Amino acid sequence: MTRDLWKHLILILGALIVIAPFYMMVSYSFKSPGEIDRGEGGFFGRQEMMVDERCVKLRDPDRDDVAVAALRFPNQTDSEIRDALVAEAVADCQMRPIVFNYTKAFTEAPLLRYLLNGVIVTASIFLIQIMVALPAAYALAKLKFWGREAVFSLVLFCLLIPVHAIALPLYIMLAKVGLTNTYAALVVPWTISVFGIFLMRQFFMTVPDDLIDAARMDGMGELAIVWRVMLPTAIPALLAFAIFSIVAHWNDYFWPRIVVTGNRDLFTPPLGLREFKGDGDGSFFGPMMATATVIVTPLIVAFLVAQRRFIEGITLSGMK
Amino acid sequence: MTIADTHTPEIVYSDTAQRRTAWWLVAPALGLMVLILMVPVVIAGILSFTDYSLGNDSFNWVGTKNYDRLFSRSTYEKMFIATFTYVVTVVPLSVGLGLGAALLINSMGRIGDIYKTIYFLPVMATLLAMAIAWEFMLHPSIGMINRTLEMSCGTVLEIIPFLENGCAERFPLWLGDRDYAIRVICFIGVWQGFGFNMVLYLAGLTGVHRELYHAAEMDGAKSVWERFRLVTWPALGPTTVFVVTISCIRAFQVFDTIEAFWPQGGGPNKSTYVMMFAIFEKGLQQNLIGIGSAITVLFLVFVMFLTLIQRWLVERKVHY
Repeated sequence: MTRDLWKHLILILGALIVIAPFYMMVSYSFKSPGEIDRGEGGFFGRQEMMVDERCVKLRDPDRDDVAVAALRFPNQTDSEIRDALVAEAVADCQMRPIVFNYTKAFTEAPLLRYLLNGVIVTASIFLIQIMVALPAAYALAKLKFWGREAVFSLVLFCLLIPVHAIALPLYIMLAKVGLTNTYAALVVPWTISVFGIFLMRQFFMTVPDDLIDAARMDGMGELAIVWRVMLPTAIPALLAFAIFSIVAHWNDYFWPRIVVTGNRDLFTPPLGLREFKGDGDGSFFGPMMATATVIVTPLIVAFLVAQRRFIEGITLSGMK
Repeated sequence: MTIADTHTPEIVYSDTAQRRTAWWLVAPALGLMVLILMVPVVIAGILSFTDYSLGNDSFNWVGTKNYDRLFSRSTYEKMFIATFTYVVTVVPLSVGLGLGAALLINSMGRIGDIYKTIYFLPVMATLLAMAIAWEFMLHPSIGMINRTLEMSCGTVLEIIPFLENGCAERFPLWLGDRDYAIRVICFIGVWQGFGFNMVLYLAGLTGVHRELYHAAEMDGAKSVWERFRLVTWPALGPTTVFVVTISCIRAFQVFDTIEAFWPQGGGPNKSTYVMMFAIFEKGLQQNLIGIGSAITVLFLVFVMFLTLIQRWLVERKVHY
């Protein structure tokens, strides 16, 4: 029992260090700027009403506003009306810090657009990877043809090349055909997953030939066999690969940073967060951490829901 | 979907037909492999001997001048030092901690799963978002880390020299300090990566047979350490080879944290000017494609060399 105790102590210490930045990120996304500055308020902050200074400044009454409001405040001097209007603005601009942070996250920058871009890019990459890799994997596993060995050695060789490493020449090629700052630039370099081909080939090798022969007897073409016979048998491997691919590309920062310059409409979530950070003055820690939380949450939640699958998917590369 | 000629059942599926279909199935993957992975490598190789820059129509051959520069200028010396310091620190630590965590968790039954989940969180999270969270934690005045350290002032903990200095003068600036910057980057690298290694080791540990431990005990391996040295460690050999290689390759590609902390220039006194950042800065921001390509080529050489060593080690194990 005592031996288990020190094991737990070590593991808990490690867990605290691992969780610390997550804790801080979520906690700051709840707190008001003052609480962040002074380091108070525990995890949730006190959630006292706070005044959004920018909102008040935007509603700063000018001469016209005062003139219009004169009807509502009869028999008062202009400066009294002004003060009353400012007080109204302050009252309207009050909100809880948590509401403030998360609304700012979505209104200061088009975060929804970024998230949508993230989904579009990640999904297109995965779908194209599958469309390219599955037929190739099937041919390499189940069909006999001259050059098969050569193609497979090429696959093995290409496994050596990390796409991030060849970012510069890829960028030059994309720039030459005028594709930078497009969705295509975000997707194209990832359309070929040699790892996917390799993995699916290994999986297809285990599918019995009889199944394929039977399908051929039924008059199915090879392409139909790939999609209607092989694909359903490969669902577990495919799911693992999907997780691997989606996690990698949702979180990827390097490649989008290179091919998307300036055009905010194409920003993926990490790029949006990066820009937020660049713009931010000190008082915007709260909304920024809210943005970070929003970006990190989908995958973390999915992971917590389907842990086993995720761990399988991510460590897939270890099953060679 | 169905290919037309297979509708006539009397045609036996001939070898030539199969060969042709096979090539059709492989063609997209093959084409993309060549275009997206092989051609860029060749382009990088060629451009590394030129003074090409985007926007110019022509270029001059400059021989090995780019490479000479890489090995003579102090900036690039710093680049190599930063990259190798990072790799040499992060790989052993993340592998060691991954193994340690896996062994502890493996020895404690179901309750260990909760630690597994926690330690895996950083692997799933968007690194850029977490880098920003870490940046706040490391903030010299309002960051959680220095605040926690300050709490130790005036307690017995002050006998630790580090804390004593910190309390007497001030605690480190962390990201602004040239001695600490690279260590912080390494720390975050370990923080992010060790959970991945842990999961791979946990998978490896399930493959170690119980009987082996009994046999070792019979042979007099009484202590925990002896059993680890004689049974666990050798059985985990293949996992270790894989874990070390993939950790190396990932470590070489460190970029997100560095770009997030120091968008210009790679840290105080270039102490964190790693290769990926150099490729990004020279090749993409400063349009010095020649030098960027030369760094790319060296990068590829390192990564391929590592992977080939791994494959050689694995193969040796297989034929053993």
